[in-house]
Amino acid sequence: MFEFLIHVSIMACLYGLLSLSLNLQVGFAGLVNFGQVILFGCGTYGAAIAFSHQLGPVAGIALGIVFAVVVAAAFARLGRNLGADYWGIATLAVAEVLRILANNEAWLTGGAQGVSGIPLLFGDKPRPMGPLMTLGLCVALLIAAWWLCQRLTTSRYGLALKLMREEPQLAASLGYDLAVLKTQTLMVAAVLAAASGFVFAHYITFVGPDQLVSSETFLIWAMVIIGGSGNHLGAIVGAILMQFLFAFVPFVKDALGLPSEYVAAMRLTLVGGGLLVFLMWRTQGLIPERIGGKQNG
Amino acid sequence: MHKALLAAACLALSSLPALAQELVLGAVVPLSGASATLGDDQRRGIELAVDKINEKGGLLGGKKLRVIVEDSGGRAPSALDAAKKLVTVDNVPVVIGEYSSGITIPVGQYLVQEGRVHLNIGSSSGKIRGLGDGSFSLIGLDNVSSGFAAQDVVDNKWKKAAVIVPNNAYGQGVAEQFQKAFAALGGEVVTTVMYTEGQTTYRRELQQMERSEPDVYVYSAYGKEAATINRESFELGINATPWYAIYLSMCTSDADPKFIQGQYGLDLNYIGPDGAAYEAAYKAKYKEPFKTSFNGYGYDAVMMAAAAIEKAGSAEPKAISAALKEIGNGYKGATGDITFDADRQRSKQPYLKLKIEDGVQQR
Repeated sequence: MFEFLIHVSIMACLYGLLSLSLNLQVGFAGLVNFGQVILFGCGTYGAAIAFSHQLGPVAGIALGIVFAVVVAAAFARLGRNLGADYWGIATLAVAEVLRILANNEAWLTGGAQGVSGIPLLFGDKPRPMGPLMTLGLCVALLIAAWWLCQRLTTSRYGLALKLMREEPQLAASLGYDLAVLKTQTLMVAAVLAAASGFVFAHYITFVGPDQLVSSETFLIWAMVIIGGSGNHLGAIVGAILMQFLFAFVPFVKDALGLPSEYVAAMRLTLVGGGLLVFLMWRTQGLIPERIGGKQNG
Repeated sequence: MHKALLAAACLALSSLPALAQELVLGAVVPLSGASATLGDDQRRGIELAVDKINEKGGLLGGKKLRVIVEDSGGRAPSALDAAKKLVTVDNVPVVIGEYSSGITIPVGQYLVQEGRVHLNIGSSSGKIRGLGDGSFSLIGLDNVSSGFAAQDVVDNKWKKAAVIVPNNAYGQGVAEQFQKAFAALGGEVVTTVMYTEGQTTYRRELQQMERSEPDVYVYSAYGKEAATINRESFELGINATPWYAIYLSMCTSDADPKFIQGQYGLDLNYIGPDGAAYEAAYKAKYKEPFKTSFNGYGYDAVMMAAAAIEKAGSAEPKAISAALKEIGNGYKGATGDITFDADRQRSKQPYLKLKIEDGVQQR
């Protein structure tokens, strides 16, 4: 059970990073990104490509960050002439195009068969030290990311982001360059997502295009909405909550002696139903956005 | 020691003391997501085997067999959650699964690393071969089926083949292996088309293949898409050239008989001594013929694991693994003879050579 808890905690932290990243875009800057999973994919493929060319994990994370920044720049470039909702559709399209590229360019990405055998980060350490160290790394990453996001959004910069979200014209008239703000936010968010993807690749030990289907993006969206859009802590809580619920549904089945099909149905109901409940009755999520207060000081 | 641990784990987990008399194995299959139909069929095979073993009085002197089937949701992270639960909480010696190669590979890697036995019952990617000691494939990897198809096509004196397969891990594997095997036998693949799943029409792909003027069209496609491909090849008149299906029943299950008249193909052989009884049991329990061609592997996996546990006289993973290697030499399964090669992969699979006449498969 102990090792299972470590595993679930690692996954919760990795999703926490993704959720923080999406929250920075959606919750603060109003960037409706439906292609979040591809930013994560930049990290996984960074690790995979570095591994298949025997470049080592340091090159992997560097490659992942480079990919992420390039994709973020492309996303931001798209945003110049599009309204928020149209931009969201465009990001979904770009993410799908990149996934299909990964599926087909076998010489680089391993194609649909993917890249397997990526080494564990602390695979040489005795158990349970290895998984514990991975968990330590994930927690450290999550805290660092939270601190970074907190710093960004409690400063004047954060206020500018919120102003851009609520009143883009006003923000522009006050002299903020919206294109620059969007690009910077996307790049910071992309690096967080890529970090999550990199650790994920070295934890799952396999990278393939099936990990980047658009339903994964919407899972992260569900985490942000349930946790509380516009609040960093909310995004993290949403991710941890969903991951633990997902992982522990099978135990409910075992305890009650339910057939396995119920687990499948229960998971779908949890995501879909939970999302609906929050969208209808608690749009601010579990931990609502804080308005005013310290941020004005 | 391990048996005691297993029993203790069972006791701790369950409020019913009677369950301590159980022997528990695990399975991870997709019960939700895109492959849910296949995963559910795999579960049926597993269920039938558990029923059969328990009817005969269980294992290791009367212990009831139970297989905990977990849902992978068709996602690698959820599948890994399930596998880690089965290993670290339920402490099962054997885990069966999954269906998609992209999920089977990380699950198999994890199980091998934990020293458990992994039984692959649905993935055919060549990469499964490298998973390491403890991982067995009961399904022939794509080199086995493609090799058989290439030989059969050559035997029919067709020299130029046009290949169409889905653009996923399965299709890419089949295309690559078929090309290799066909070229070695002196044939030539004149064009290979990878189709995107879920399209409403495949006319463009079919016309592209037609331009290469093949002697035979070799294809493998899932039910609904295969039906579209067959209808459109009929409409375009290119079904005058022979068509050869890899897994004929998967390719023709949803098709109108007149579109598939005269097609050749291979399919799994269910007519082994155990196969007929299995097919009857399936029909009796689920009131329909085989839903997919994958349930038999789930059945064989449980039956083989049970046989290995009996032979080893223990439910210890290492002992089961060693016993499986001995049993896996001409084992009479529902999917035919199962023989493992040096890498613990099914080396041969008895296929049927089939031809469709008036909507019926003829041997």
